[in-house]
Amino acid sequence: MTARLELVSDDHDGERELARLASSGDERAFERLYHAHAGRVFALCLRMSGTRQRATELTQDVFVQVWKRLASWRGESALSSWIYRLAVNLVLSNVRGEKRRHTHEVSEDQSTEMGQGLSHMDTAEARPASVPDAIDLERAIAALPPGARTVFVLHDVEGFDHRQIGEMLGVSDGTSKSQLHRARMRLREMLADRRATAESA
Amino acid sequence: MTAPTCREIQPELSLLVDSRLRADVEVRVREHLGGCAVCRGVLADLDRLRRATRDIGPITPPDHVWLQIAGNLRLSESSAAPAPSPHRARAPIWQWAGLAAALVLVTVALYLAQRIQRTPPAEPAPAQASSTAPSGSVDAIADELNLAAAHYERALAELEALAKTSASPVDAAVATEVRDSLSAIDLAIAESRAALASNPQSEPARDSLFDALRRKITVLQTTVSLINEMRSGDPEGAQRAAETLGKKS
Repeated sequence: MTARLELVSDDHDGERELARLASSGDERAFERLYHAHAGRVFALCLRMSGTRQRATELTQDVFVQVWKRLASWRGESALSSWIYRLAVNLVLSNVRGEKRRHTHEVSEDQSTEMGQGLSHMDTAEARPASVPDAIDLERAIAALPPGARTVFVLHDVEGFDHRQIGEMLGVSDGTSKSQLHRARMRLREMLADRRATAESA
Repeated sequence: MTAPTCREIQPELSLLVDSRLRADVEVRVREHLGGCAVCRGVLADLDRLRRATRDIGPITPPDHVWLQIAGNLRLSESSAAPAPSPHRARAPIWQWAGLAAALVLVTVALYLAQRIQRTPPAEPAPAQASSTAPSGSVDAIADELNLAAAHYERALAELEALAKTSASPVDAAVATEVRDSLSAIDLAIAESRAALASNPQSEPARDSLFDALRRKITVLQTTVSLINEMRSGDPEGAQRAAETLGKKS
């Protein structure tokens, strides 16, 4: 896992004790663990799924799984990393299910097409932008196509590298890079549109 | 060797922002950037975007998420099997709203039942403490129950709305059955609460309140199964659940 993920909890001993209590059935200890980690897990679920309703359902699923599997956490990694990895796997598994249903599978062929699909940016005007507002950014992330959103969140928000993302998604590093670039260019476009709309209003 | 076009250069700009570009490629990209305002603009935007993304952080989930998780844990423990995941199967939103609200209320009610059980029996103690503790518990219970009941009422209204628009007579019967059951139990809860308010030491009143709460939990748990039966399109199963509701209330 990345450096970002290791910063969550400084009190490893306290967290280890809470995990021990929770794994033996102490719901109050588990509730404290929930409150310590729910914000990051919910944010991941929200950004990956794109809707609050789905994020709520996924967050519930993640913590039910944490409760069931907590006894298997041996403490080799930080609990935050363990929970987060579990969350990523569960969300990705869900995202893959969604893609199968909606035929949005990330494939090598598609990634090539995505690279070609960026040609319209050749003629785009260079529009110097201010740093995007966090709310605008969250909205724009939610509006990304599912495949590009997944790679963007994993790389730019969660800090995974292209090799790790490739392994998680079952695609090549190159596909991950193409998806990321596609996502960033799409975000740039959406944020510029929002800015233009705001300025004209 | 011809000079690279913007179309060839732009996919490399993401790697440049991440400092992941091979040295020889970077030289070519920077040469292009020196003479291309469009690509310089894209690079500047990507860099701003990258920095802005680093600053977005955790998002607090809605309060009810924990209650639903706790309810799910308790239900799965009581049934010795994992509770069905709410998003595995697609269902109309009203059904999940009903299920979620029912789970919230079941959870709250279970909390309340445990708190009542934990309330120590009347025993020699300073007069003020022994007379105010049970009353305080009842007030807190009332507040929480009212809040949870408000959630459930909304779900029930949605259930009724569906019953009115559905061709299935089972749905209308189900909605009526649930409402009747809950009305009877709510009456018992109100009477027990009034008795406890006037005599906080009354063990029969406390037992009666506890019993009514337990019955409400049972009705709600059965309602959850009923909603599941309706979700899976099994009117016979829903009818059986409705009949069970009648017996349990």
